[in-house]
Amino acid sequence: MQEAVELNLTTLVVNKPFEQGKRMFVAALFVCAIASAALAGLLPLQVSIVTVFLFAGPHNWFELRYFITRLPVRFGRSRAFFMTAFIGVASLTVAYISLPLLYRTTGWSYEASLTAIALWNTLLLAWLTTLVFFRSKQKPRSDGAWVIPIAFALCAFNWLAPELFGLMLVYVHPLIALWFLDKHLQRNRPHWVPAYRRSLLLVPLTVGLLVWQLWGTDSLTEDNGLFWRITQHSGAELLPQVSSHLLVSVHLFLEMLHYFVWLLALPLLGPFLIGRKARQNLLARFWELDSLPIARHPRGFPKTVAAMLLVGLAVVLLLWVGFSIDYATTRDVYFTVAIAHVIAEAPFLMKMFQ
Amino acid sequence: MKTLRIVACLVVLALSVVLVRADIAKPKTTPQENKSLYTSIEVIPDAKATDARLQIRQSTLNDLRAALNGEPGNAALASTITRSSTRTIIAGLLMFLSVSFGGVWLVRAFRSGQGLRRTEKIAAIALIAVATFGAAAIITRGNAGPPPTYRWRNLPTALAGGQSTYGPVILEIVPDDPNSSIGMKLTIPLKKQKPNGEDE
Repeated sequence: MQEAVELNLTTLVVNKPFEQGKRMFVAALFVCAIASAALAGLLPLQVSIVTVFLFAGPHNWFELRYFITRLPVRFGRSRAFFMTAFIGVASLTVAYISLPLLYRTTGWSYEASLTAIALWNTLLLAWLTTLVFFRSKQKPRSDGAWVIPIAFALCAFNWLAPELFGLMLVYVHPLIALWFLDKHLQRNRPHWVPAYRRSLLLVPLTVGLLVWQLWGTDSLTEDNGLFWRITQHSGAELLPQVSSHLLVSVHLFLEMLHYFVWLLALPLLGPFLIGRKARQNLLARFWELDSLPIARHPRGFPKTVAAMLLVGLAVVLLLWVGFSIDYATTRDVYFTVAIAHVIAEAPFLMKMFQ
Repeated sequence: MKTLRIVACLVVLALSVVLVRADIAKPKTTPQENKSLYTSIEVIPDAKATDARLQIRQSTLNDLRAALNGEPGNAALASTITRSSTRTIIAGLLMFLSVSFGGVWLVRAFRSGQGLRRTEKIAAIALIAVATFGAAAIITRGNAGPPPTYRWRNLPTALAGGQSTYGPVILEIVPDDPNSSIGMKLTIPLKKQKPNGEDE
């Protein structure tokens, strides 16, 4: 009885700001999408440099914090899942970082390097498939067998065109943030989900608009190493018949949405309940350790979590210093090491599926 | 004696085969393939210009140099798809496994009587769509894109109107022709049009 009263009170507390905030949230999403598309279309290279400088490090810190939020205090039945996830993230990251080093030191042929990339992509797919299996075992009436044919089909595409598969990851990764936001809203603000999903239509529309406007434009000038790196990252070398202006703009637009989700939407739209109590301040305070179950729990690890977040903060500052001293090299290093956060998103997203 | 005669005949026959190299196929004369590069060109009629000018971007020139040296430079999308037989075999094998496992899974899901869940339905639709589109693309060459002639179809009108036209072009290095002193040649794919505007 008391629990029912508490639940009703919580619903009352929560429902009013739900409706007030929903419109603001959708409006913010529209403004961000349109502003991002405009900036990405008009000044792709310049905005790319500024965006990566400002947001690359902090968004990784927020991702780390979010993943810690989703970690259970004890793995329990999920031990195999989490162990596979952590081992996979670590080993795939090390392998990914080793690839360019091996390429330089061993003098591989172009074909050999493509085979190495294809192998890495295959390992990534095998790891993802294993995780899906572990996850499906934890859910009743769930059969993870459907993932096998899809994984094999993706593997086949990867072996045909390993570089295009890698480019696909570059473009798909920013969209994963939108999926995280969807799952997050389902848990914390289910009333917002229909409006959010409708507003997602803006993404393909905006991408379509960018394609329409920039299809026939001249490719961007690559008169220095940095501009060349940015266009290569967007796939200018793999898709020479597409204007690099279009490629960089579309990629930058998606990246900006990705940063918007990780830096604004997810941190600000924290849960209304902390444990069983309603949050005092409706805007989440990301510096409060109380909102992290693994730190709040009596058997949790508050000191370890605090240390991890502080080290993360130091890395963000170091990244800014690096960008200030040598932007191009730091960017290269960042995008190589940042594969860790790309891979780490997969198990945490899977864990959010009921 | 008879055996010796047969053996002698066989030896002579074998020697004659060696001498005339009868088992060796006539060597194929493979014409040397011209070096080529896929890029784009803009044709601009300019009333103020005094000379016809061909401008090539530095990056395009670099790609052309790479193509001449046989290095992997900017290649067309189609050419980025595997040319390696090993990778093609692996990809084919994996595609075979994908289709096989997909079929088994579909049959098993329907036989279990539980039908398909939402995620599984999406997976099934995605798999069938990929297979269908893939097959359709291979059969109809749907991945070939619009023909290069499409962009050039309005060139005469655009030139007459003083407007520029932009379209794909293949930069090709051809052997020297002793009978011609022309340094470069631009061929535009234009088709004659019928009075009703359709291509002949």
